[in-house]
Order: sequence, then structure tokens, then C-alpha cells
Amino acid sequence: MASGIRDRVIIAGMGCTEFGERWDIGPEALMVEAFEEALADAGIERNKIEAAWLGSALDDINIGNSAIPLSTALRLQNISVTRVENMCATGTEALRGAVYAVAAGACDVTLALGVEKLKDTGYGGLPLRTKGLANDLWMPYGSAPGSFAQLAGAYAAKHGVKAADLKRAMAHVSWKSHQNGALNPKAHLRQPVSMETILGAPMIADPLGLFDCCGVSDGAACAIVTTPDIARGLGKNDAVAIKAIQLNVSNGWESQYGEWDGSYIRNTREASKRAFREAGITDPRTEIDITEVHDCFSITELVTMEDLGLSEAGRAPFDILDGKFDSGGRLPCQVDGGLKCFGHPIGASGLRMAYEVYNQLLGRAGARQRSKVDLGLTHNLGGAPVNSVSAVSIFGRLGR
Amino acid sequence: MLERYVRSAGAYLPLLRLDRKTARAALSWSGTGGAGAGRRSVAGWDEDALTMAVEAARLAVGHDHVQGVVFASTSAPFRERLQSGIVADALGLPADTGAADVAGSRRCGIAALRQALRDRSGSVLVAAGERRISAPGNSLQLTWGDGGAAVLVGNTGQAKLIGESTINVDLVDVYASADHPLPYQTEERFIRDEAIERVLLPAVTAALGKARIGPEHIKLAALQEPVAGVYRTVATKLGLKAPNLCERISEAAGDLGAAHALFGLALALEEAAVGDRILVAGFGSGCDVIILEVTSEGAARCSAANALSHGAALSSYTRFLSLSGALDLDWGPRSELDQKTSASVLMRHVREMHGFVGGRDNRGNVQFPKTLIPVSPGANGPEKLQDVRLADMPARIMSVTADRLNFTPDPPFHFGLVQFENGARVLMEFRDVENGTPKVGDPLQMRFRVKSIDRKRGFRTYFWKAAPLDRLPLEKS
Repeated sequence: MASGIRDRVIIAGMGCTEFGERWDIGPEALMVEAFEEALADAGIERNKIEAAWLGSALDDINIGNSAIPLSTALRLQNISVTRVENMCATGTEALRGAVYAVAAGACDVTLALGVEKLKDTGYGGLPLRTKGLANDLWMPYGSAPGSFAQLAGAYAAKHGVKAADLKRAMAHVSWKSHQNGALNPKAHLRQPVSMETILGAPMIADPLGLFDCCGVSDGAACAIVTTPDIARGLGKNDAVAIKAIQLNVSNGWESQYGEWDGSYIRNTREASKRAFREAGITDPRTEIDITEVHDCFSITELVTMEDLGLSEAGRAPFDILDGKFDSGGRLPCQVDGGLKCFGHPIGASGLRMAYEVYNQLLGRAGARQRSKVDLGLTHNLGGAPVNSVSAVSIFGRLGR
Repeated sequence: MLERYVRSAGAYLPLLRLDRKTARAALSWSGTGGAGAGRRSVAGWDEDALTMAVEAARLAVGHDHVQGVVFASTSAPFRERLQSGIVADALGLPADTGAADVAGSRRCGIAALRQALRDRSGSVLVAAGERRISAPGNSLQLTWGDGGAAVLVGNTGQAKLIGESTINVDLVDVYASADHPLPYQTEERFIRDEAIERVLLPAVTAALGKARIGPEHIKLAALQEPVAGVYRTVATKLGLKAPNLCERISEAAGDLGAAHALFGLALALEEAAVGDRILVAGFGSGCDVIILEVTSEGAARCSAANALSHGAALSSYTRFLSLSGALDLDWGPRSELDQKTSASVLMRHVREMHGFVGGRDNRGNVQFPKTLIPVSPGANGPEKLQDVRLADMPARIMSVTADRLNFTPDPPFHFGLVQFENGARVLMEFRDVENGTPKVGDPLQMRFRVKSIDRKRGFRTYFWKAAPLDRLPLEKS
């Protein structure tokens, strides 16, 4: 049985642009901005990078297809560059490619960069896109909030939670993230928002109101990864290691087979189980110190707490309302503000989550820094509950 | 001599009804809007002449055998694409079912029925639908309605043909042309006088003569009036005592064009007793008349009366204008999705899409769409799935939301997972939702609808959508 990638790959450096409505710059500048920060952080020369992975999801409004835009923007010198796309989990998919190359011994130093320029659509929300020529013949064109809103009804029905209680717990998810995002200079939305405002916001897709939905923004994030030996040679004695990356993809079971009850994301459950095993974690509730999960919508974060095993089944609304996942809580979630405050430039989000966990592990998170961070988790979810891609990554210090 | 029968009939109206008073109030400043009472039926954005004909046809056919399908409409969505073939697909009929489309005037529905009754061509379905576009201010916009009706003909059945007639007169009461697609109507007094004298009186008289019965023997009439009040004069002049059921349709839903007289026949068959004679007449550039004698009780489907009495009030005149194609709202950039359909992709999947055909795998699980390797967790390789039609399968809502972000021509966009009684599960759009978001567990029925409209290229595709199982009774107008 494969032993996994635990402690075989080190994050040498990371970069992340300010996220937001970056009307003034294009994707090329976003890529360069994230890369230059990561390169300086890693302290290596750019010609040491042997391969690169580009994550970008929407080629029609972003940078086009292929990996050429990254290679061109960074003027990478005659190395392999691969573009990956796996819906909203694209950023983690790019990181996985770069990490696997090092873990496999194929490369010593690799790069993962995710970028998306969503605000060039000219309108709010994610663009509506074809689902494939055959699927378009029958599949309804639901929006992302519409797709995720369906979790709420199914969750409430399964656990007997009153709609008003669930709505309040969902509102707390967003309230907490806005509190955190207000402390983050790279976040798009940096204002605290009251519970009353959240609860009274216009409806987008029942029962998700405006503040139950993450924003849409531009941004890029980047990681340079290498081997433990090279990291030590760079003087990184308390380096951040990859403990696990696992990704699980729907095969149609949720949407076509009459078994799933619609109240959870099976792929997150499967990916997290495998990630915990790979990372050697037996009790995530006590071992994980911080999480950055895919809070595309408040209800997504709520069910994810259970899917990751961080709340008991049916208890997430109450854990949330008790402040368990607040910045000062027992298991802080979205300390950087999450998708809620960063928005969701799709290709970048998975790497943006890793950037916060990386900085928390290195004690560099400024006003957001938590006192004890030894293990951090990111969860990057693509698609919709009925057809999803779920990636769970775990980061910690080398050898611990 | 072989006798020919109407075996069964079905009738369908879209959910929404516009009270004519609502339109009149909105148009009062202009002096247009007419004085009519009652309501007109209003098709959903995803309903057209074809989809409504299919819904009526489903009610008419049941599990009966059908050898030929005729689609009749003056507002067919396609001029070159056989819609009767799509009706056959939607009913799950085999590919060797005869199929033909008829048009030319709103008489085409009843003309096709007369032809089917005169022919010796086995079991023939005449399915008519109408969704005619007209301009605000034109009185036809309010006197016309949207709907469908279908009649199945065979060598045995509920009502026997005992007389018929036809008359062709190029009486241009209303026309629409390639150069003038919207209807243009001439003076009502001219229409009334000439339709009675040159068309209806001779045609009805001829049919009664062939049936060898007097006008007093007609129990129920379904005569499509070119203008209101025509039947009353015809009945007085001929001595007809029967009520005209088509007037009831005009009052509750409007003139349904090619479907109107067929709808009236469906109503009559629901009300008639064995031995009753029914007069059916379709008008348009002349007239076709059919006289039937009811010989046995029909299937108690009661679709026509129920369609008239159940629905939902449409209180917004501008929403009506948008739904009826008279107001082209700028829906913003989210509506700009290019929905080009690949003809080869459509051909590969068309029977499964139009017929809503899924597949049963070797473990007994039913899924949609079919795949080479089934979705069943135990499946480990390609296998041939057995066809399973889902269009008539009971189903319930498994998850649902009202999506206000994505573009739909009639927001909000309701969609979610549908759980079928036979185990199949499909992500579907919900339609005919007027009273708040439906709930998890609510029962559903499947409806044949327009899936996508490619406005740039003038093409549309069809699939099935889920609607609440029951409609509410309409309050009195």
C-alpha cells in the first residue's frame, strides 16, 4: 500500500495577491504579483523551478486555455507547464500536481499558481456556462447558490432543525468570516457585518440570502514546493510540510442513484478520511488547530464541519452558534475571512487557503495569528453537492 | 362498411390565466383592450404549440395503440422540422409511427380529425396546439388563448362518426403571413354576417343531412366561433337546441385556434351520455363539420373540464406581455448564454430526451440518462440497459430551491433533485410553481417543455420538467 506524501514535500514559499475588484490590472499582473512574493519568500532563483502547474477554471473569460499564459507571464525557461481545471477545486489541483512531482522524485522544485479574473465578466455572480453538449439537452441551468441552497432543506429535514435555527447558524458563519476578513489587508470585503444585516439581506436562492454567498473577485495565489533536503539548504529549519492532499470526485452516485439524502457532501467525507490517514491523524477534532474550508455559501461551511468530522452529525448549527469555529473558538475556521471575504477567483482559492494556513504555521498572520497552530487543514470544493470535486489538504511542520 | 370512431380525447391548458379585466385596466388609457369578460390562458415561457399538443395527446392516448400522429397548429414553432414526429417521440411511440403536420388555417385541427375519421387508416391521433403571438392593443391578444387538445380515432371507440361535411370559402376574417406574421383582423360585422350565411349554415345543414338527423337531435355542440354570438344566430336559424361548449372555452381560456373545436369535443365527450349526438365544427377559410353519436362510456379522465376550472391567476399585465412574446425585456448579461445545439448530439440522444427514457441495469436500478457503465455501486463494466420511460412515473421532490440569480424568462428558477417511484433520480427544473417554493416530498408530474431556446439561431430543444401534481381551482373571474 502506498505510504502517501506526508513530510515528503516542503512549501518553500508562497504568495498571494490582494483579492478584489482589480479593475486596474489583468491576469498577467496577478500571476506576476503572486509569483514574485512566493519567489522572494522561498529565497530561491527562478531558474531552479523545474515544472509548473497552472490552475485556472474559466478559460473563456480568464486567460484562455493551455498553460502557455503562465509560462509567458513568468517567462519560465524551457520547463514543463501544465494547466489543470477541476471546477472550484482547481487551486488545490494545481498544488497537488506540483507536490506530487516533488514527492515522486521527478523534480526538486516545482511551482503551483492559481489565477482567475472573474470581474472581467462584466456582471455579478459566476458566469453561466454550458455543461457539455449532451448534458445541455436535459440538465437544468441552476446557479451555484441555487445548487448549494438545496443542502439546507435536506439538512433541516434530516436532522429536524427548524428553518429559522438553521438560518441563524448560517448567518453566524458569515458574521464570523466578516469579523475575520476585516483584519485581513488582502481580503476583498473588509467590513464587519451585523447579524441583523445578514438575516435581513435579499434572497438569492432559498434560503440563502446575499450574505450567505461568497463574493466574486479577482486574485492569484502561488506556492513553490521542494524537498526537505533542499528546504534545509535554504535555511528553512521550521519548514511547513505537506502532510496530505486527497481529492475525491463524484461518479454520479449522488445525482443518479437513489441513496444519497442530499444533506452532506460525500466526497468531502471520503477525501478527509483518506487525508487524515495519510497525515497520521486519528482524532481531527483535537489534532487540527485551524481550518480554511470552502465556504462558497454559509450552508456549505456548516455541512463541511460535519463532513470533516469536526462536528457531530446534526450538531454543526449548534457548534457554530456556540462560537466553536470563531477566531477565538476551539477550532477556528476561515481566520483569513474565507471565500466570504476574499471572494472566489476559482483557480486561486485553494492556494489562497493554503497561504493562510502556511502563514499561521509560520506565525506570520499578523493580527489574525492564532496562538497554537501545529496542524492546519484546507478544504476546496468544486461543482455542486450533486456532482462535486472535494479536496482536503493538511499542512504542518516537518517531522511533527 | 367500416365504422370509424373517436376513441378518446384529451385537453390541456397552461397554468396561468389572465383576467381580461386586468388587461383592460392596463390599456384603458389607450381605448384598446376590448370589453370582454372572462380570462385567457397564458403559456409558460417554455410552452409552445408542440408542448401543449403533447400534453393533450398524453391524456388522449393513455396506453392506447397509435399508428399515426397528426400535429395541427397555425403557430407551430418550426416550419421545417416535423413536429408530429416529436409528438410521437414524446409519447414513446415507435419510429415507424406515421407522422404528418398540418397547418394553413385554424380549421386544420378539425380538418385533420375529419380526414382521420373518413380514412381507413387504423388508429390515428390528431394533436393540436396553439400559442399565437399578437400585438398589445389588438383585440385578438385577449380573445385568443394558449392550449392544446388531442383526439384519438380508431375502428372502435366512444363515439361513432355519423355525418360530416366540409366547405371552403376564402373568407379572410383574420390572416397572418410571411410578410405580416402578426394577425390582422377585418371588421367583425362582416365576419359575423358572411361566416353565418356562406359558411356555417350550409356546412352544418349538409352534415345533418348526411347524418340523417334533425338539428333537435344534437345534444351538445362544439362550434368554433369566428366572432362571439355567431353560434346563437346559427342555432336560431337552424333550430339547434344544444349548448355550444366552445363558448365556455372562449370565456375561460380564449379561442385556442387549431385546438379549439377539438377541446370542445373533449368537453362534450366528458359530458355526453350514450346515445347523445355531438356536433363539432372548426372554422377558418371555410368549415369542417363532424357529427358523432356516443356509443359507449369513455375513460373518465375529465381533462377538459378540469383544465378550464383549475389554474392560477396571472395578475401582472407586463408579465403576460413578456410571457406571450409581446414584450422583449432586456434581461441583462446573464441571459446571454449561447445555447447552440449540436444536431449530431441531439440525434444521438433525441429519443431518450423527447421520450424521457432512462435505463434499468442488470441489478434492477433505474437511472437517467443511460450510461455505458451503470451508476449502481455494484456495476463494474459496460452493460446494456433496458429502456424505462419516466414521463408517466410518479415522483417526489428530493431537494429544491428558488434560484433568483440565474437567468430564466420567468423568475425565479426552481430546480432540484426529483426522486421517481421506480428508484430513478434526476436533477430537474420545476415549473408551474406559483404559490411559493414547493416542499421536499411534494408529489410531482412530468411535463413536456421547451428546454432551451437559441434565440440567435431560432432553434429550440425539448425535454421534461417537473410540475406540482395538482392544480388549484380558479376563483370566479
